[in-house]
Order: sequence, then C-alpha cells, then structure tokens
Amino acid sequence: MRFFKETNIQFVKYSKFAISSSAIFLVISLIFIFFIRGFNLGIDFTGGTLVQVQFNDDVEISDIRNALATVGLENSIIQKTSGTNEVMIRIANETEEGNTPELVDRGLKTLGNDGYEIRKTEKVGPKIGQELRRNTVYAIIFALLVIGVYISIRFQFRFAIGAVVALIHDVLFTLGIFSMAHLEISLSTIAAFLTIVGYSLNDTIVLYDRIREDMKIMRFDPIQKIINKSINETLSRTIITSLTTFFVVFVLIFASGEVHVFAIAMAIGVIVGTYSSIYIAGPVIIAWQHRFNAKKK
Amino acid sequence: MFKKTNIRFIIIGITLILAAYSLYWTVAYNTFSDTKLEAMRSSGSIDKFEKRIIRLGLDLQGGMHVVLELNVPKLIETLASNRTPQFDTLLAKTTREYKETGEDFFTVFRRNVDAADFKLVRHFTDRGYKNSDIIASLHDESKDALQRALQIIRNRVDQFGVSEPTIQRAGQNRIIVELAGINDIEHARSLIQSTALLEFTLLKDPQITQSFINSVDKYLKTGRKEDLAKITSESTDKDTTVALKESKDKAVSVKDLLGVTSADVEMAGDTSDTSLIVDEELFSEKPFSSLLRNISNSIGVPERNVYTVKKILADPQVQKLLPYDSKFLWSAKPERLTSRDGKTENYYLLYHVEKEAGIQGKYITKATATIGGANSKAAGQPIVNISMNNEGAKIFSRLTGSNIGKFLAIVLDNKVYMAPRISVKIPNGQAYIEGMDSMDDAKNIAIVLRAGALPAPVDVIEERTVGPSLGRDSINNSMKIGLAGFLLVIIFMGIYYKGAGLLADMAVLLNFVFVMAILAVLGATLTLPGIAGLILTIGIAVDANVLIFERIREELGKGKTVRAAIDSGYNRAFRTILDANITTMLTALILMQFGTGPVKGFGVTLFWGILSSMFTAIFVTRTIFNFRTDRKILKKLSI
Repeated sequence: MRFFKETNIQFVKYSKFAISSSAIFLVISLIFIFFIRGFNLGIDFTGGTLVQVQFNDDVEISDIRNALATVGLENSIIQKTSGTNEVMIRIANETEEGNTPELVDRGLKTLGNDGYEIRKTEKVGPKIGQELRRNTVYAIIFALLVIGVYISIRFQFRFAIGAVVALIHDVLFTLGIFSMAHLEISLSTIAAFLTIVGYSLNDTIVLYDRIREDMKIMRFDPIQKIINKSINETLSRTIITSLTTFFVVFVLIFASGEVHVFAIAMAIGVIVGTYSSIYIAGPVIIAWQHRFNAKKK
Repeated sequence: MFKKTNIRFIIIGITLILAAYSLYWTVAYNTFSDTKLEAMRSSGSIDKFEKRIIRLGLDLQGGMHVVLELNVPKLIETLASNRTPQFDTLLAKTTREYKETGEDFFTVFRRNVDAADFKLVRHFTDRGYKNSDIIASLHDESKDALQRALQIIRNRVDQFGVSEPTIQRAGQNRIIVELAGINDIEHARSLIQSTALLEFTLLKDPQITQSFINSVDKYLKTGRKEDLAKITSESTDKDTTVALKESKDKAVSVKDLLGVTSADVEMAGDTSDTSLIVDEELFSEKPFSSLLRNISNSIGVPERNVYTVKKILADPQVQKLLPYDSKFLWSAKPERLTSRDGKTENYYLLYHVEKEAGIQGKYITKATATIGGANSKAAGQPIVNISMNNEGAKIFSRLTGSNIGKFLAIVLDNKVYMAPRISVKIPNGQAYIEGMDSMDDAKNIAIVLRAGALPAPVDVIEERTVGPSLGRDSINNSMKIGLAGFLLVIIFMGIYYKGAGLLADMAVLLNFVFVMAILAVLGATLTLPGIAGLILTIGIAVDANVLIFERIREELGKGKTVRAAIDSGYNRAFRTILDANITTMLTALILMQFGTGPVKGFGVTLFWGILSSMFTAIFVTRTIFNFRTDRKILKKLSI
C-alpha cells in the first residue's frame, strides 16, 4: 500500500499564502492571549486548592455550598462532572483558618452522610505556583536555545533560525487555541508543549536532512527548487508518521483528567507541527537567504 | 559494525535475558498474595524486591505528596527576646518582602536591619555583638531547625509503616515527603504537622523487668494456649500456621504452636525468611524469653521477632501482668550485630520504662556534640553537652540525685534513642552524655535533643493526595488506552508495510519490554504522565521504521537490488533518525531537569524510550532483514 508516489506539489510557491495566514492567526492568538482572555491557568501556576469528591448519591451544588459555608469556604467554585456524581471544588486562595483540603472534608461532613469519597486533593501555595511558572518559562526558553545550538552545529545557522521560527510558531499556535477555547493550562499541558517542540522538530530535522543531502546533488539549482524537491521526497514519511502518532494521541484524548488535556495539546501540536515543517521551516530558510544575499549586494 | 548476523543475534539474546531478569522481580512481586506480602514485610525479605521493582507513582496507587517549608520569620520571632514595636515592624517588613520577592530571608533581613541602623544585640543574646554575627548565627539556627524538622518527620513516618517513604530536603528551607499507598490521609497529615515530644524517662529496675518476663513465660507455657495461637498466627506465614490450627483439637507443645521445629531453629535465616529465631535451650521452658537476647545488659529483639513480641506485649492478659507504673518502648533504629556463629542480624532494643516521664525535653536550651575535654572522664571521646534553663535544672537535679546508677532513656515521640546511665547528681542543669560510638552518633543525638526542645515551625506549601480508588481507575483507564493506541498503530503498520510492517510491530513490542526493564533497573516510579510518555514512545519508535522503510522503497524504486536497497536505506535513514532523536532526547532531558513530579516522569520514560527505540527499530530489524538476505538472494521484498 502506498499513499504518495513521486509527488511534485509546488509547496514553496504556496508558502507565501501559508505564511501570511499563519501570521494572521498568530496575531489573533496574541490578541486573545494579551487582551481578551489570557490563559486559564490551573492551580499549579496560580496557587489554590482543588478537591475532587465522588458522592454515592446525587447531590445538589447548593447543598455542597451550604456545607462548605460552615467552614467559611462558600466562595468556592463548585463544578459537577456531567453524568456522574463527581464534584470538583476549587478554592482560589488560601485561608488563614488552616489546611484547605482538611477544611473541605470537615465541611462536607456536615452534610450528614458518609456517602462520599475524596478522590483527589491538590493544594499549591502561591509561592510554589510562582516558582512553577518561572521554571516552566525557563524550561521552554532553555529547550529552544539548546535545540537552536544543536541544529547550528549539525546543519547551518540559517537552518537553526528556520527550526526555531517553526517551533515558536507551533507553541504560539497551540497557546492561542488554548486561550481561545479557555482550556486549562497545567503542568502536564506544559509537558505537552515541550513534547510538541520535540515532535515538530523531528519533522523539521527529517526535512532539513533531506535538503542537506539534495544540496550536494543539485549544487547548481536554486534553493527554492531544492527545498521543494526535498519536501516532496519526505512527504510520504511526514504524513505516515504524523498519522501513526496521531492514532496514539487521538486515543489518549479519551483518557480522563490531566492526560486528556495533555492529549488535546498534543493532537493540536501534531497537526500544527506537520503543517509548519512543510510550510514554515523550509520557506524561512529561503526568506533568510534572500535577506542575507540582499545585504551582501 | 557487526558484519556477522550471528553476533547480532547473540547481542539481542543477551539484552533480552538481561531485560527478562530485571523485570522478573516486578512480575513476581505482583503475583504475591496480600498475606504473603505481609509476612515478607514483617521478616524484611521484601526489601530485595522493593529495591528492584517498578514502583507506581502516587497518582496510580494513591498516596500523599507534601512539601513543607520552614517558616523562617516565625522561627526568628520565637528566638527573639525583649521584642519591641520597632523590632516587630522590621520583622513584618522583612517577612513581606521575603514572600513577595522570593529572595533569601536573611539577605532581606540584613538589608532592612542595615537600612534602619538597628541593633540586633538587644533582642538576641549569646550570638555576638555585631549585626552580621547575629544574622550568621540565626542563619545557622534556621539550617539546624530544618534538620530537626527532618528528624521528627523521619521518625514519625518510620512508625507509620509506609513502604519506601521518601523524605528529602529540597532547596534551603524545604522538605518533600511522599507517602505512597496510604489510606488514612488525615492521620498522615497529623503525623507530619504536629510538634515533637521529647522526654527523659527512667528505666525500670532490671529485676522488675526480669520478673515480668518470667511471669509472661509462665503464662505462655501454662496459660491458655489458644491465646498464644491467636497471637502468633497473625505474625507468621500461612505455611507455618498449619500446626496452629491443629492446636485446638489436641494439646500441642508450645514449640509447635509457634510453628517452629528445632531443625528450623538451627537453620533459621537460611531456609525460611518468615520463621522466628528462638533460643533452643530456653524455648520449651521459657517461650517469651527465648524470643529475646541479652545485648550488653539491654533487651535485644531480633528484627524478625519484633512483630511477635509486640503482639505478645499487646495481649490483654500480658498487659495485666505488667507493673501498672511502667510501659515498654522500642529503640528508634535497629542495631546490626554479628553473633558468635558469624550471622549478622538486626536487633531492636526493648526498654522497660516508667510510665511517667522524669523530665520533659522542653527545658533544654542547648545541645551540642563535641569531643570531651582533657580533664573530663570522656577525654577524646565524642560527647553531647546539654544545658537546661533554671526550672529544668531544679527538676533535673532532683531526678539525678535520687536515681544515681539508674538509666535514663532519651525518648522522642515514643522512640528511645539512647539510655545513658546517671553517674552523678547534676545540680546546675549542665550535663553531658558519653558512650556514643562516633561523632556522627553524637551529632544525631544532639539533633534529637534539639528536635524535641526547640521549635521548628513548618508550613505545608503544597499537598497532593490521591485516593486509592482513583489510582486504580487511572491504571485501568490508561491500560485500555495504551492497548488501543498500540493496536491501531500495529494494524496500520501491518497493512501499509506488510511484512516489513510486522517487523516494525515486533520492534515496538520489544521496545516496550526494554523500557520497562530500564525503568526497573533505575528504580524509577511509573506515573500517569510517565505512561503517556511510554505511549508516545510507540509513535517515535514507529517513526524510525517509517523513515527506514520509505527510504528502502525509494531505493528500490531507483532499481537497486533488495540487499543494496536495504543497506542504503538503513545507512541513509540512520543519520536522519539520529539527528531527529537527539533533539527530542534533549527536550526530554530538559523535562527531567526542570520538571517537577509528574512532568519529570514523562521526561524519564520519553528519554529512555527513544534511546531503546534506536536499538529495537534500527539494530533488531536490520538483523532480521540481514538474516533473510544472508541465506538467499531475495528478488522481492514485502514492504
């Protein structure tokens, strides 16, 4: 079986269109992130308490709120997972009263029945949240730097520029969707972002490897032609790999909790990563080359 | 590289055997029944398993993850004397800035003290006169406070009986506690957070202790044997309790009741890990004494007898025999001793002490480890100096004066750390303890003394708990998902690349086995994100094969022979795979380095998954291709 045979699609020709639509989307993303919605940061980054409670019988949210009022936590955000008796209780900031997960338990006991089980509690102090936020930003910047250096050594500097631009594109794109859809960003989402970085890079490297090889063979052809040929040659592999990875990620979407959000981020990342390694990573090299040559003249 | 296909097969074989060995422990461990696990736990033979198995993270088996932080401002507040409004304002300002900026407390403190031209010596005595000296001393005090908090938590968690708890220092002021598989979260919370209790308690007269042991012996020998059967049956393995059940029908000797024959006694420790060690001569006459040993005038209990001895002591009838004003306490740590016949065994010491403490630890103002001065009796020996305040000195003077020659146990949270002998009356609250084996021991005792006496205020800054049922659900859920994803990929590869696709499938399967084996060797913990990383590795492992196969197809398209196409396909794809995988591994490494908890687990499985996928996807599949093309010239390749 074979999906692609000796394709000759003029990717580079369409890349101007692709780059401008990407740019438009990224601008919209940035507007969303900075001016409209910001991020839905999870308690890992904001600090606070989350308690997941499984009730044996159906309960009213108002009853839970009344029960929590007895311990001064009536301002909690209480959400019911539809179709289950599972309730999520979120408390924004710490109270002076004591340990919030403990308080929630004490409050729920006033409901008068033991028909519940606390399945999960998470309490993150504001200081820890701040630190996690800082560390995460460092991790992403550090990852981009290390990758840039590695590609500069293995390939050429302009390749590194292309790869890093493609990566920033992917992460911003995914962040934009997360901001627009108001999906929660937690520690595992960050892990997903970094995986996207690594994954999209995989595609880009495979392409660059081919460009490097073709540059030796077609020494006198213009760079546009070489890159277009390389994209076509690696197209089959790029699509097949994206497909198999997408299978796995697609299945992970059906998981619950953290893994679920993780998988959504990954699924977006796989699609965007495949797109960017075809339409962004290659053309950026050409653009860089143009500027470089123009300056030389 | 290895030209000979045979050598390649041998390498693959050896790797497989190593992987199988490292996974054996995990597989065996999971087949044990709960009763067997319990028995192994009490005998200590579980250790060699627990070191080698893949442990499940808190999110999969339930448990508690707590990060504690030393409350430095509160510590400084309690250490300060003669507090004035000016001092309180200064401290409040420092505390606010410290919390906002995340800077080191003492750096901020220093800056504010200098800016206000404040004289710290008015509030802190015995720490020098210059501000800088006082701050340096307070800094040391905060380091010591963290040590004390660590000591207290270790001590408590050990009593709680969690398997393989993690208690570690993190950064300057933090302690991370991880308790896996606990059910009683409330109890665990109280253990970690409440303050420590230090007491000095007099040991009972050895004669009284001996007469109690004699009466227990008599009770066990002549008393109701069924009781003993009940006591001991819970402590021993199912195999050895067969004899116990018979005891109800006919009178059996105590020897049989305990499920130990003389043959077992002789070979104890070699044959069965769950058998008790008893003194053969004493056994029939004095069943209780036979479980105990005399270790330099203290009662020693071999580790594997501890459970039984505890059960016997907890028996209501035995409790009645115990003098009303006394109780038994255990040593905090076991001692490792070698008996005359060369067997090493861990011994816990059992102390018979007064029910009421002689003096509380709160009167201690100072406890430091040093080397005894030239004029003292303990010249050149490690000692611990203790100072008490006036109130404590009075009580201590009375206590030591009327009990010269007796032993005084140092008890922290109901665990005995040492029981030195009172040699003289100590009138002024200045005492020293001698008899430590090393300076480290002395330092440890000093920490224990300070732990109970001085405050080490800690706050919970992060707490994550997962109930056992959620953990179970997560395992089931992720197993189903992993399997589904795996099957989808396998079927697709089989259809798209036919024979070669099946080969890639085999490589993916092998990769899974290898990653698990590596995790077992590393003693890594498998978390939910770790499983996600593992599933992602499937995608990456397959990618390597896709790259190779696409290249082979291309080369075949150019009209090369099968063997030549395979050769150049692998050679050309190899460089691409290497570059692509190294960049992903770099990201995984960064995740391992910067990530906390769950994210770290993801990085670990991803990193090792990619590394081992290079072996399975390149080396193993190539070997099989070679094997087929070595024997005959293939005209067509199923790809």
